[in-house]
Amino acid sequence: MTCEEFQMADLDSGLTAEEGPLQQTARQHLLECPHCAALHENWQALRTDLHALGAETREAEAPSRVELRLRQEFRTKHKTLKRRRVALVAAWAFAGAAVVVCAITWFNWRLQHGQMANMQQTRGGQSTVTATNSTGGAQQVSPAGPELGEVLMASNDASEFTLLPGTMPGSLDGATVVHVQMQRGALGALGLTVNEEQAADWIQLDLLVGDDGQPQAVRLPATSD
Amino acid sequence: MKAGRQPTEMHIDSRERDDVLLRRSANGDEEAFTLLYRRHQAPIYRFALRMTGNTWAAEEIVQDVFMTLVREPKKYDAERGALGAFLYGVARNRIMKHQERLPREVPLLNPEDDGFAGYAQAIDSATPAHWAELRERRDHVRAAVLELPADFREAVALCLLEEMSYEEAAESLQCPVGTIRSRLHRGRALLLAKLEMLRDMPKRANGTR
Repeated sequence: MTCEEFQMADLDSGLTAEEGPLQQTARQHLLECPHCAALHENWQALRTDLHALGAETREAEAPSRVELRLRQEFRTKHKTLKRRRVALVAAWAFAGAAVVVCAITWFNWRLQHGQMANMQQTRGGQSTVTATNSTGGAQQVSPAGPELGEVLMASNDASEFTLLPGTMPGSLDGATVVHVQMQRGALGALGLTVNEEQAADWIQLDLLVGDDGQPQAVRLPATSD
Repeated sequence: MKAGRQPTEMHIDSRERDDVLLRRSANGDEEAFTLLYRRHQAPIYRFALRMTGNTWAAEEIVQDVFMTLVREPKKYDAERGALGAFLYGVARNRIMKHQERLPREVPLLNPEDDGFAGYAQAIDSATPAHWAELRERRDHVRAAVLELPADFREAVALCLLEEMSYEEAAESLQCPVGTIRSRLHRGRALLLAKLEMLRDMPKRANGTR
């Protein structure tokens, strides 16, 4: 065995482990080489010192205050996390509840709106034959087109019409609604009272024209008053 | 040094695996965290103490290492190795930072401060002269260990002071066994050289007079 080989060999276990060919060769080399013998001796002394040094701190452990600090930190961190989680859950629950309330409100509103429309349609259908006819008539006569027709359908309630003086309530069967534009003063000719100051104003109104071509009732739009 | 730890009643099986404990700890189980801490703190503390030679620094390093477990438990991946090795890795980083911060810090050779106080009790049967000689020699060895480059010092601290096997040290430092063997060989040579110089210094001084 050369000095290099001896030094590369594990000095810790080389001579202390169970006797084998390597240990025998190393021991032989120690007897022959004073340099390696001195090195080995130094190493054994140093090893003893290191062992003693290690033994001094073999039982050492971190002071208990470190554990206390860490546990405190652990609690703080997880309490904060827990609070955050609770806040998050609460926020989501609140948002969910708000969405549900909104949805229910919207649904109810739609339901009521639909019911009202149905009721109006039903009332419109039940009112008179005049109403049905009058809608068609209005659509034919009115130059305003389908929009106006829709308005007439929506407000196609004979009760909104004011009977002209001299008209019998029962004589409206088969009447037609005519949408006309005229000067307010012309209403005087139909037997209605007219404010003279506004007599020259142009207004739009609906006339319910009977089978005989005579106006039976008038409906003034709210804006024209 | 033996800390006066208050025993706390544990309800977790002490053989519970580290990764299971860590998962429970991450979910806020303080008992699991405490068990993990108690299982690993001592070797990490000794490693830090032997690497820095300073109890305050070692304490701070242990605290930092376990704080990482508290704050970022997901940093540890069980598939990449044992928790102990991960903790050694974190401790090595902290030790490196500590030494960068205090590059020229020389630990006080005060047994009360450096964590090696047990030595005084171990030799109380010796004469004062013998005690002084042994203590001086031990101080030289300790100083020589602390002066080793970090890589060699780690190998010396784990294999020669903590008396880990090469395989255990390799796992802790996450390097091949051959690297440990080589670092240990070079560290040993450096230690011998340093101590030889220390021993020779008085002789040379006497020789020049």
